Amino acid sequence: MARPAFSTQPSRAGRRLRRAILVAFLVVVAVVLVLPLTLTQQAADANLDPTTLGIDFAMNKSIVRTETTIAMFVALAAAWNLIGGLTGYAAFGNVAFFGLGAYTVGYLTDKLHLSFALALPLAPVVAAAFAGLIGLPLLRLRGHYFAIATLGTGIAVGEVIKNLDVFGGATGLFPPILRHADALFFYLMAANAGLAVLVTWLVLRSRFGYGLIAIRENEEAASVLGVNTTAYKVGAFALAAALTGLAGGIFAQWASFIDQESVFPIQYNVEMILMAIIGGAGTLFGPVAGAIVLEWLILELAGGGASAVYAQIGLGLLLAVTVIFVPRGVVDFFGGSSRLTLGYLRRTLRETSV
Amino acid sequence: MAEVLLEVRGLTAGYGAGPVLQGVDLDFRAGELLALIGANGAGKSTLLGVLSGLLRPSAGSLVFAGRDLTGARPERMVRAGMAHVPQGRRLFASLSVRQNLVLGAYLRRDREVQSDIARVVAYFPTLGDKLQRVAGTLSGGEQQMVAIGRGLMGRPKLLMIDEPSLGLAPKVVETVIEVCQSINRDGVSVLLVEQDVVVALEAADRGYVLENGRIALSGTARELQDDPAVRKAYLGV
Amino acid sequence: MTGVLELESVTKRFGGVAALTDVSFSVGEGEILGLIGPNGAGKTTLLNCISGVYRLDAGKISLQGRRIDGLPPHQVARLGIGRTFQVVKPFASMTVRENAAVGALFGSAQAHMAPKAAFAWADEVLEMVGLAPKARLTVGSLTIPDRKRLEVARALATKPRLLLLDEVMAGLNPVEVDEALEMVRRVHAGGITIVLIEHVMRVVVGVCDRVIVLHMGQFLAEGTPDEVLQDRRVVEAYLGEKYAARRHG
Repeated sequence: MARPAFSTQPSRAGRRLRRAILVAFLVVVAVVLVLPLTLTQQAADANLDPTTLGIDFAMNKSIVRTETTIAMFVALAAAWNLIGGLTGYAAFGNVAFFGLGAYTVGYLTDKLHLSFALALPLAPVVAAAFAGLIGLPLLRLRGHYFAIATLGTGIAVGEVIKNLDVFGGATGLFPPILRHADALFFYLMAANAGLAVLVTWLVLRSRFGYGLIAIRENEEAASVLGVNTTAYKVGAFALAAALTGLAGGIFAQWASFIDQESVFPIQYNVEMILMAIIGGAGTLFGPVAGAIVLEWLILELAGGGASAVYAQIGLGLLLAVTVIFVPRGVVDFFGGSSRLTLGYLRRTLRETSV
Repeated sequence: MAEVLLEVRGLTAGYGAGPVLQGVDLDFRAGELLALIGANGAGKSTLLGVLSGLLRPSAGSLVFAGRDLTGARPERMVRAGMAHVPQGRRLFASLSVRQNLVLGAYLRRDREVQSDIARVVAYFPTLGDKLQRVAGTLSGGEQQMVAIGRGLMGRPKLLMIDEPSLGLAPKVVETVIEVCQSINRDGVSVLLVEQDVVVALEAADRGYVLENGRIALSGTARELQDDPAVRKAYLGV
Repeated sequence: MTGVLELESVTKRFGGVAALTDVSFSVGEGEILGLIGPNGAGKTTLLNCISGVYRLDAGKISLQGRRIDGLPPHQVARLGIGRTFQVVKPFASMTVRENAAVGALFGSAQAHMAPKAAFAWADEVLEMVGLAPKARLTVGSLTIPDRKRLEVARALATKPRLLLLDEVMAGLNPVEVDEALEMVRRVHAGGITIVLIEHVMRVVVGVCDRVIVLHMGQFLAEGTPDEVLQDRRVVEAYLGEKYAARRHG
């Protein structure tokens, strides 16, 4: 499913292409990062004179919301990539960590009246601790057993929380609303997404990362070469949980209302995996690219009615086509190691169909 | 001279990055026990892959029992009377020995499957009380016997066996090779692909030497055993 | 003889079936010990017990006086035991060089290097086993003998004091076996004690100082290769008459 993360040197043309892509990427990132600031500034101005700029105001707010949501999914997909892509354990219940992070912030701000700034750092801690706890037994399972067990855990955690009155029961929790903070939430989500990418980058260069990939490729061989497989798997799982929990924590305050339905949505599990796989599981930027494109599509097409149905069908087709023709993800075509040719498609088809 | 069972001409095939086989010619007479020898990477398993239909050749022809089967799919090859016993056995590890054997007769619609299981047991008596065992729990030697037995269950004209001696104790290699010879005496043509050149040439009537995707040498087993080049390259003497 | 590795009454059962019963022997410093026996005799099971993949049902295993049975595989590796697998288990998406580097990044206490040093050592090891020209290829393009070599390289990269080789010469023709024997001798010359499982008698006779024969999970015979290959019990259980005849003929 995944390419080697630490790869051989590309050709000179490959390097030039890579540099051009990097520059373009940085420009886009700069625009995306600065946009919310100017837009929310305009929004603030518009507030003074709502009659003249009312429509723009709504527009701008929706652009910022779209960007924030996309940044959130970049973090979720990149975090999933640590356990699913690098370590090869297809976790299907990462939404549990998202929900736990959200409920940590929700509980601390709503019930204990802690400030958001003090509550947020605890979200990743709670999520990671929970991952460590369930990781020890669950990571003994392999393949679809692991996938099903994590899926079950993800659902169970949401159900348990819903039935505990301390956490607001079915009513949910209400973190105090922060006004005029649209830009803040965007930058927090973007920072978390950046953190997830940075963590992946560091992991890929470390002994830890080599150990994870060795586990993915052959766990028994990894263990006799000296890789502490249990510790490494649990470590990767907890790291993914921390980043996911942080996203959940930010989301709770951003939404200023959370309940089981809003922070344990099962489809997030599928979406983050799709994003990582379509972009390129196990690679640094694959999940990022996958999350941006896919979440943008989901948001664009989710207008409701017929278009939502087409969106679902389209996503399904996209996944099928990707898994069949580009099992290593779209990112495989950049950096000069593979080119999208008929020969490539034929080869991958043959490799994956036997 | 006996009729030609399999005639291969100019066979070229590979896996994308350049052909592994480059114009292989092969003549197989009915009733022969033929040895195919060569270094690792010479193309032996690739040739077997083409003969069993797992790999389509990019050039050349393959005529089996008078029918042109160039590029035919595995299922047609089996129907025509070829059976491939792959390297590393490739048993259905979680099924019983009996189920493995029955699956070897997958394309047959007659009622003689039971008696053919008895025939396999006659060749390999050790399997007799192990028919209900899960195939994956057998020793390497017994698994090789099941793999050959499964090949026989299709009542092939030609049985192609890839490296039966791989990872087996010398005594078991001896048994397996002896059974290959008696299967051959009972009228089935056998193509033996072997790393253990000593064993292969002792058992075979004739042999082909594959080098870098080409037939470098062919002759009777005796001739090859005495050939100085073969002795140096494959026997290490 | 001072034993690097001592096995005392090692017993291993799977369900009710005894795979190893009361196996005891010791491996001397600097020795090349051959482990032979029929298929299903328990040789690979024994290697799995030593390397921590299996837990013993009874008995003791110690490395330089220290008990290692019950330790998980990565700790056994840390103490200096490297091993290969009969069915090769390469890290398929990695290059040859990266495969070897994983051994150096982890491995014994002597290895456990930082990435840069690990790759440098990986290059040396690949040189030693003759894979240096193929360092940058991915595993998929390797022939079977090369995959076996890679298996050895990866274990060597862990800087073991004891190397367990499980049928690294199966599937090689006699000439390829001779090349592989050269490699084993080079590794041994580097001061590593070796235990090897083989069915290829050319190997056993070629490099082993001493041979132990297992049969049905039990100790059957022991001696120099010549002694063992002439032992009537070994001929009966393992070699077969034809082999014995060919040897004498």
